[in-house]
Amino acid sequence: MLMGLGFLIVALRLVHLQVFERAELSLRAERQQERLIKLEPKRGTIYDRMGRELAVSLDVDSVYGVPSEVNDPHATARRLSGILHEDPRAIEKRLAGDKNFVWLSRKVEPGKAAKVKELGSNEIGIRPEARRFYPKKALAGPVLGFTGVDNQGLEGLERAYDKVLRGVNGWVLAEKDAVGRMVFPGGPGLQYKQPKSGNDIMLTIDEVLQHITEKELDATLLSSHAKGGVCIVMNPQTGEILALSVRAAGGKQAFNPNEPQRSKPAEWRNRAVTDAFEPGSIFKVVLASAALEEKVVHPQERFDCSAGKIQVADRVISDAHKKGVLTFTDVIAESSNVGTIKVALRLGRERYAKYITAFGFGKKTGVEMPGEISGQLKDFRLWSGVSIASIAIGQEIGVTPMQMAAAYCALANGGMLMKPYVVAEIVDLEGKEGKKFGPQPVGRAITEETCAKVNKMMQRVVEAGTGQKAKPAGYTAAGKTGTAQKIDQRTGLYSKKDYVSSFVGFVPARTPKLVILVMIDTPEGDIYGGSVAAPMFRSIAEQSLAYLQVTPDDLGGRMLLVAK
Amino acid sequence: MTTRAGNIGTFVSERGRRGSALRIVVILSIVTVLMLYVGGKVQFYRLGYKIHTLEQEKKDLERSNRSLRIEASSLSSPARIEDIAVKRLGMVRPAKENIVMVKRKTLPKR
Repeated sequence: MLMGLGFLIVALRLVHLQVFERAELSLRAERQQERLIKLEPKRGTIYDRMGRELAVSLDVDSVYGVPSEVNDPHATARRLSGILHEDPRAIEKRLAGDKNFVWLSRKVEPGKAAKVKELGSNEIGIRPEARRFYPKKALAGPVLGFTGVDNQGLEGLERAYDKVLRGVNGWVLAEKDAVGRMVFPGGPGLQYKQPKSGNDIMLTIDEVLQHITEKELDATLLSSHAKGGVCIVMNPQTGEILALSVRAAGGKQAFNPNEPQRSKPAEWRNRAVTDAFEPGSIFKVVLASAALEEKVVHPQERFDCSAGKIQVADRVISDAHKKGVLTFTDVIAESSNVGTIKVALRLGRERYAKYITAFGFGKKTGVEMPGEISGQLKDFRLWSGVSIASIAIGQEIGVTPMQMAAAYCALANGGMLMKPYVVAEIVDLEGKEGKKFGPQPVGRAITEETCAKVNKMMQRVVEAGTGQKAKPAGYTAAGKTGTAQKIDQRTGLYSKKDYVSSFVGFVPARTPKLVILVMIDTPEGDIYGGSVAAPMFRSIAEQSLAYLQVTPDDLGGRMLLVAK
Repeated sequence: MTTRAGNIGTFVSERGRRGSALRIVVILSIVTVLMLYVGGKVQFYRLGYKIHTLEQEKKDLERSNRSLRIEASSLSSPARIEDIAVKRLGMVRPAKENIVMVKRKTLPKR
C-alpha cells in the first residue's frame, strides 16, 4: 500500500515535470546547452606594391574568466597575476560578482597563454582573438597607422580604409555537451552566418624605396640636429606615392605601430598632409612657370640684382647674398629674391593667383590619408601691397609637403597636375571583383613648352646654382633649393634662427622617373637647403635609381662601347 | 490432454510456443531498432567531436603558418638585410668610379 502510494507520488511528479513544466524546462536546457559563437572575420592585409606584407592579422590567445563559477576570487587572482604579470587586485575585482564572462588579459604572449591552459581551471578560459602585426616594424609607420584592441583602425590607412579592411562578423549556434565541448549540429537546422573576410589592400609604396628614404632622413636629422623632417618620392607620370617618410624629432626612435602606446601623437602624425609650412624659395618655380606661360619674361632676359634688395610697399626684401646682373634663368638658379619679385610685379596678382591655384595650392590634393589640410592661401583680392612679393618668394602662403610634391610632378611630366594616390588596389578575398585605382589627371597647369623651359632652369640650379650638392652621380637632375624662415610663435615675426631647409626636384632631368621632396624642420648650424636637404636628395636619388635599374644618362663620357 | 478433437494439449502448447516466438521477435526488433537509433546518435556526436578536433587542428596549423609568414616577412625587411650586408658581409654601395656603363654596338652586316 505504502509502496503503491510512493509510486503514485513519483508518477504524479513526472507528469507535472514532463507535461506542465515542459516548456520552461526545455528552454532552460537550451540556454545551458546552446552557445552562440561569434565568428570573427579576418582583417585584410596591407601589401606594398610588390606584394610584400606591411600589416597582417594573426590569432593570439586572450584570457577570460567566468566570475559566476569562481569560488575563491582572491586565490584565483593571485595564481593568475603571477602568470599574466598584472595587478592581482585588479584581477580579483573583475572576478568578483556573478557575471558569466569578463576579459582578464587580452592578446597575451603564447607562453603566458600556455601557462594559463596548464592550470586546467573551469573558471578561466582562453579565446583566440585577432591581433595586428606590422612585420617591418617602424617602416612607413605614420602612413600605415595602427589599430585598437578591438581591431578598429585608429590612425593612418588603417583608419582611412577601416571599412574595407575590417570585414563582417559571423556567428554559429553550437551545442555544448556535459563536459563543455562544442558540437556543431549539421543538417537543415544549423543556424549559421558566414563571416565575411576584410579585403586586402595593395599600396603604391615600395618597401625598398621607403627604407631608403627613412634611412637617409634619420641620418640627416641626426647630423643636422633637426626637429623633424618629411621626404616624399613620387612617380611624376602617374601620381603614385612610392615612399613617404615622416619623422617628428631627430634622435628619437621612429614610430612603431606594433607599440603605439610608446609614442606620442606628434610622432605618428603624418605631417606630409596634416601640416602646412611656408615653402620659401622652392615656391619660386611656380612664379617662373606662370611668368613664362604668360610670356611676361624670357629665360635669358637680364635683371639687375646688384642692389641686393628691393622695396615693395612698406617692406624691404633682401637677397641672402648680393648678386650682379642675372638672366632670369640665373635668378632662379641663384635664388635671387630681387629678380623673382621684379618678375612677380610684372606678372600681377590676378594672373599669378590663377597659376598658384592651377598647381593645386590652396586646396586638398585628395590623397587618401586622414587629416589632410588645404594649406593657407588668401584670395588675391585680399592681398596686401606686399603679398605678391612675399608669395613669390614662398612666404605668406602655407603649403603641405604633399601639395609641393604634386606641383613638382606637374613640372616633371610636361605640365599636367596629377592626383597623388597611395592605394593601388583593393583585393576582394571572396573572389569577387576588387577595385583598381589608376592615375587621375586634375588639370593642366602649364603647357609642355613652358614646362621644358622651367625644366632647363631647374637643371641650371643643380648644374651651377644653389643645388649643386643635389646632383646624383651618373644622372641629370633638376630641382630647387629652399631656406624658409619660420614664424616665431612668441613674437609673430619671422625667426632669425629657425628655418625649414628644403630641396625638391626630379631625376633624371630629361626623362623624369622620380620626384623627390626633402624638407628638414629647424636644422641647427648650417640651415641652407643647398647644404642640408640637397645632399639627402642626391643620396636618395642615387640609391633609388640604382634599385629601379634606371639607365644613367650622365656618365660624363665614361662608357665602353662593345661591338656585338 | 486427449479429446474427440484430438490432442488439444499439444495444440494449446503449439499455439503458446508460436505466441512466445512472436513476442520474442517483436521485442528483439524493438531493441534492435532502439540500438540502431542510439548507436546512430552516438556515432553522429562522435563524428561531430572528431570534426571539431580536426577543425581545431586546421585552425592551429593555419595560425602557425601565418605566424611563420609574419616572421619571414620581418626577417626579410630591407633594414635588416642592409644591416647584415654591411656589418656581417662587409658589403658597400658601389662608388661612382666603379660603375662603367656598357653599351652594345651592332656592327653593320657585310
